[in-house]
Amino acid sequence: MTYDVIVVGAGLAGLTAALRLSEQDRRVLVIAKGNGATHLAPPVIDVLGYAGDKRIESPQKALSGFVVSHPGHPYANVSADVIAESLDWLSRRVPELGYQGRLDENWLLPTAVGVPKPSALVPESMVAGDLRRGGRFVFIGLRGLKDFHASYLADNLARAQLPARVSTRFIELEPPHDRNADPGSVGFARRFDEPRFRDWIVQALAGQLEPNEKVGFPAVLGIEKAGEVWRDLERRLEHPAFEVPLLPPSAPGIRLYDALARALRQAGARILIGDRVAAGGSEGGRVAEINALTAARPVAYRANSFVLATGGFASGGLELDSRGSVRETVFGLPVAGMPDAGEPMFSPRYFDTHAVSRAGVAVDARLRPVDEKGKVVFENLHAAGAILSGAVPWREHSGNGISLATGYAVAAAILEHAAPRIRVDARD
Amino acid sequence: MSSLQTDVLVIGGGSTGSGVARDAAMRGFSTLLVERRDLADGTTGRFHGLLHSGGRYAVKDPPAAIECIKENLILRKVAPDCIEDTGGVFVVTPWDDPAFGDRFLAGCKNTGVPVHEVSVGDTLRREPRLHPGIKRAFTVPDAAIDPWKLVWSNVRSAQEHGARMLTYHRVLSLDVDGGKVMGAVLQDVRSGDEVRVRAEVVVNAAGAWAGQIASMAGCEVQILPGKGVMIAMNHRLVQTVLNRCKLPGDGDIIVPIRTTCVIGTTDVHVTDPDTSEITKHEVDFMLDEGEKLVPGFRQARALHAWAGVRPLFQETRAKDIETRDVTRSHALLDHKKRDGVGGFVTITGGKTTTYRFMAEVAVDAVCEQLGVQRPCSTAKERLPGSERGATYQLGARLGAREPLPQSEEIICECELVTRSHLDAAIARRETDSIDDIRRLLRIGMGPCQGGFCIYRATALLHADRHLDYATANHSLLDFLEERWKGLHPILYGDQLRQTRLDDWIFQGLFDVRHLPR
Repeated sequence: MTYDVIVVGAGLAGLTAALRLSEQDRRVLVIAKGNGATHLAPPVIDVLGYAGDKRIESPQKALSGFVVSHPGHPYANVSADVIAESLDWLSRRVPELGYQGRLDENWLLPTAVGVPKPSALVPESMVAGDLRRGGRFVFIGLRGLKDFHASYLADNLARAQLPARVSTRFIELEPPHDRNADPGSVGFARRFDEPRFRDWIVQALAGQLEPNEKVGFPAVLGIEKAGEVWRDLERRLEHPAFEVPLLPPSAPGIRLYDALARALRQAGARILIGDRVAAGGSEGGRVAEINALTAARPVAYRANSFVLATGGFASGGLELDSRGSVRETVFGLPVAGMPDAGEPMFSPRYFDTHAVSRAGVAVDARLRPVDEKGKVVFENLHAAGAILSGAVPWREHSGNGISLATGYAVAAAILEHAAPRIRVDARD
Repeated sequence: MSSLQTDVLVIGGGSTGSGVARDAAMRGFSTLLVERRDLADGTTGRFHGLLHSGGRYAVKDPPAAIECIKENLILRKVAPDCIEDTGGVFVVTPWDDPAFGDRFLAGCKNTGVPVHEVSVGDTLRREPRLHPGIKRAFTVPDAAIDPWKLVWSNVRSAQEHGARMLTYHRVLSLDVDGGKVMGAVLQDVRSGDEVRVRAEVVVNAAGAWAGQIASMAGCEVQILPGKGVMIAMNHRLVQTVLNRCKLPGDGDIIVPIRTTCVIGTTDVHVTDPDTSEITKHEVDFMLDEGEKLVPGFRQARALHAWAGVRPLFQETRAKDIETRDVTRSHALLDHKKRDGVGGFVTITGGKTTTYRFMAEVAVDAVCEQLGVQRPCSTAKERLPGSERGATYQLGARLGAREPLPQSEEIICECELVTRSHLDAAIARRETDSIDDIRRLLRIGMGPCQGGFCIYRATALLHADRHLDYATANHSLLDFLEERWKGLHPILYGDQLRQTRLDDWIFQGLFDVRHLPR
């Protein structure tokens, strides 16, 4: 079976590239070993939160200087206009999440430990948590939800460095539970989907909220009926309500995945989750096919173009062995940004920037992997997301921004240069 | 400065010191145990967890082997809850001299270490991951011993007999007057407050740090600290203690303990007992040696590495040879006889396997100094927690949990620590340190190395102890730095993958770097 494009990896970068291409009537296959970081991380799009120790107020303004001082960074291959476009595109494409925000200003949302964190684009269920204008915040703890501790959050947030005064407090609720006292965040999210459970929450908070308080909940406000849950609570509590992201798994992250996957299927793409992918044959400097390593036998899939969006070390796109040798796991591509042989990979201090932090695949302007000499490895192989070298996303707060922008840009690069699409009549 | 009075002041909260405190308290002495950090934070908490059968020393050091098997059998009776009876096997690999097997057999027989030669086939069936090229195999009663449980059981018992304990107190000086140690000045390292202790006898059980303590009384005790590196692997690759059948060397033991197995160890002389550096060369060496026992060792997931420092004692005063104890395995120094300084005894060298006996001889020396005769009963009386007489079984936590599968939150999924376990430990320890809780419950010691439980534990500590934000944040950040020391030397494969997820959790999701301090 032949596709226009095969995308390896089902995280934000892969899904974005696949949806953009499907929208242009390209026949797309998304194939991945498992779900990506969407299921672990909240769906906030952090484009650039910090440059060194400086908190960024406007990524738009900071980006030009940032790419000059970080020449190998993935953002060096996508213009600010493309990043801005990608934000608008995502907002339109998944209306279920009600995204709000633009590239020219960062929201400042509290993390679960009460640190204000900059994000460019946030779902509507988190907007009321914006700390920039200060105000009164109350955080709601739920006994039995081990991944959210409202008192610790409130205590730290009251001391945070913020442009305006913030006051915080917390309320602990003890919701009834049946059978399972440890349902986890996804279990709690399912309970919030039930109207009866929300009735209980609303009744428990009756008379407890003070005027002008914004109400912070753990990010478990529904999975299936997320928008409905959040709106219902805001309306009945008569206070702005918002979600605070938690440890993995991420209920709001799963909502983003579900919305993107739905859109993809509607656009006619195929998604295959569960098989590891290995390189197949190549012809004349082009990738011809990849192999899905199914339980029974390898199954070959052919395409005109390929997008590698398998993520970095955390997602299995890169592997380091015990002798210090690094490997890109699908095509065995050259890996850039590794320290020289014999040099230490890690500093003995945890919060230092470690030598392997920026490791990944280096690419040309069309996001095609290149070797040490800058030569394109395969004409029709592109890369996007966390597998790209040059970023320290958890420090820069740039992870989802890089994935979205490069996923978006890689689709444009393919549409611009690749062979005309395959005409097919029947779709499976 | 506050002051305390005691019969016996014990310096050092490792296995020896806690054993001395228990023994002294059981013999009716008022006893105070002082430790500069947490209990079992030194060498005791940094070894591989092997309860020696004596097999390892049967050829090279027969007196040590005799002492090991004697104490091994005693500890199985008095401290079974701290012991998992894994058994041990010595194997002749293709890299070992086949003739050593006969010397090993003879050595075990001469020292009373129960040994049986078993067939290679049976051994490979028992341990399928073992190198298939082994030539001979011998079983011995090696076992795994949990050092934290052991020390805590001893201290609890000591406290039941009236002993007091001061952790996080270091010894600033010893008071010496008229050729006798009269006591010590301690400092609470957290508050800075000083305490003067008056004691009839001071027992120096500071292990690798015993030389530093002895010098405070003007006595020269030369300790040659020997650093050993160990690596815990994520799985029980083996269920039996594996030893290479050769003269003891580096990287030739794998000990299955709790949910991990630990490969050990190296021996590098260092000048500073606080050294904990782990070099890439040491890690590579251990992994290569691991391959010789368990092929594919390098592909297995390493969890954590650490270095412990052995207290190797070297007597600098040959004429005082009679002050040394019966074997080379440990050293009892009665400083009255040796240096003319009364009220002061040093017990050092040795191993955790023989800690009880070391405590016994040390307290015998205390009795002698005080001119009293009080018999030791630690070889008969069981430690708290071991009353049932049953050894620890792997899966005990799961077994306790299974009847109530969803009755409460599990805070640490890797080690099955529930919220009530954690709340109780926080209340009992009265500590603000997650690292102290870790030593008690093993939170943060599993595959995710605290990625998920440390936030939960910090927040519960903050709530349970009504901590201010700065103390709670310090505890979290301190734990991350401590954890990293044992992670960065072994970051490859799946553990690097895990660590990257943890980095994202702490730095990306929570942004702990910007916590208020």
